[in-house]
Amino acid sequence: MKDPYEVLGVERTATSEEIRKVYRRLAKKLHPDINPGDKAGEARFKEISAAYDLLSDEGKRRRFDAGEIDASGAERPRQKYYRDFAGTGSGAAYESRAGFADFADTDELLSELFRRRRRARGADLHFHLAVDFLDAVNGATVHVTLPDGGSLSVTIPAGIEDGQTLRLRGKGARSPGEGEPGDALIQIAVRPHKFFVRESDDIHLELPITLKEAVLGAKIKAPTPTGPVMLTVPKGANTGAILRLKGKGVPRAGRRGDQLVKLKIMLPEQPDPELEALLASWTPKAEYDPRRSMEA
Amino acid sequence: MTFGTAEFLKRASLDETTLEIWIEEEWLVPEREAPERQFSEVDLARARLIRDLMEDLGVNAEGVGIVLRLVDQVHGLRSALAEVVAAARR
Repeated sequence: MKDPYEVLGVERTATSEEIRKVYRRLAKKLHPDINPGDKAGEARFKEISAAYDLLSDEGKRRRFDAGEIDASGAERPRQKYYRDFAGTGSGAAYESRAGFADFADTDELLSELFRRRRRARGADLHFHLAVDFLDAVNGATVHVTLPDGGSLSVTIPAGIEDGQTLRLRGKGARSPGEGEPGDALIQIAVRPHKFFVRESDDIHLELPITLKEAVLGAKIKAPTPTGPVMLTVPKGANTGAILRLKGKGVPRAGRRGDQLVKLKIMLPEQPDPELEALLASWTPKAEYDPRRSMEA
Repeated sequence: MTFGTAEFLKRASLDETTLEIWIEEEWLVPEREAPERQFSEVDLARARLIRDLMEDLGVNAEGVGIVLRLVDQVHGLRSALAEVVAAARR
């Protein structure tokens, strides 16, 4: 960090009025907005404005002279300059053609260029939107509040996938000139569901059943994304058995995927003496050995 | 990204009267007027330029209008030049 007195080229004894004069003289020459194309001048300007920041503040200058703070003690990151926006399209509202209107209007090439520029489309705006699993499967309309306070009503088509992008035509930024507005691009993130899992167009569900339902078979209620349906559990259904509910999956392009229900036998959460008594009197047949295939 | 008047005044360290004068003079043109006045980052950077001109560079009120007009023309010329360069490359 350079000595601020050296940067400004003033004596250590300079009065604040002298310092102000020197700074003004340099700043008039070097201010980035007076020199929009000069990158080297900007670094020099930052240096002198940091030095001036320090020396123009009586308290900071005293502390610097006393060695309490170093020369960077006063430096703060400078905000963006106006020139960083001007000429990038976002500053077009302020741009003036007065500097060349006389020859631009009579020159065919130039006037065509500027017409095109005025007709330029607005920028596309990108958004992220998290939707619930069931809204993604069944479709929904979601209201989104935009950062600038406006709101958008987004129609989520049924069957949309995680990571897919929706394009809303004309809902982007306005054109800087007289052109069409840009589009809003909305990237969809689908929140996971408590028990449904999607794989391509099929829905997977692990469905717990009781020991009795598994052994004797039963008609039970199974949830699907469009509401519960009755499901027949066949006699002797085992853990891991998969039952297919045709057409209960994700709709897409006029067809629907299936829902695959994987059964899982659950014993009572608390030990049940009656069940224990029942099984104590039961002698399984010799071929009932689920670990047979593991034996050497 | 836009913000309302209160936020703009805070970020540009301006008071309301000064802002009204600047808008009146057309030094600043808010991004949007209706239904509520909205400012953009560009407006904010421009407000800071005006403050630099008046406070640090000693430009008086008449001078600011002239400087801004010239700066706007420079940027107009710069983007015109950029267009011409791009067209010549094609």
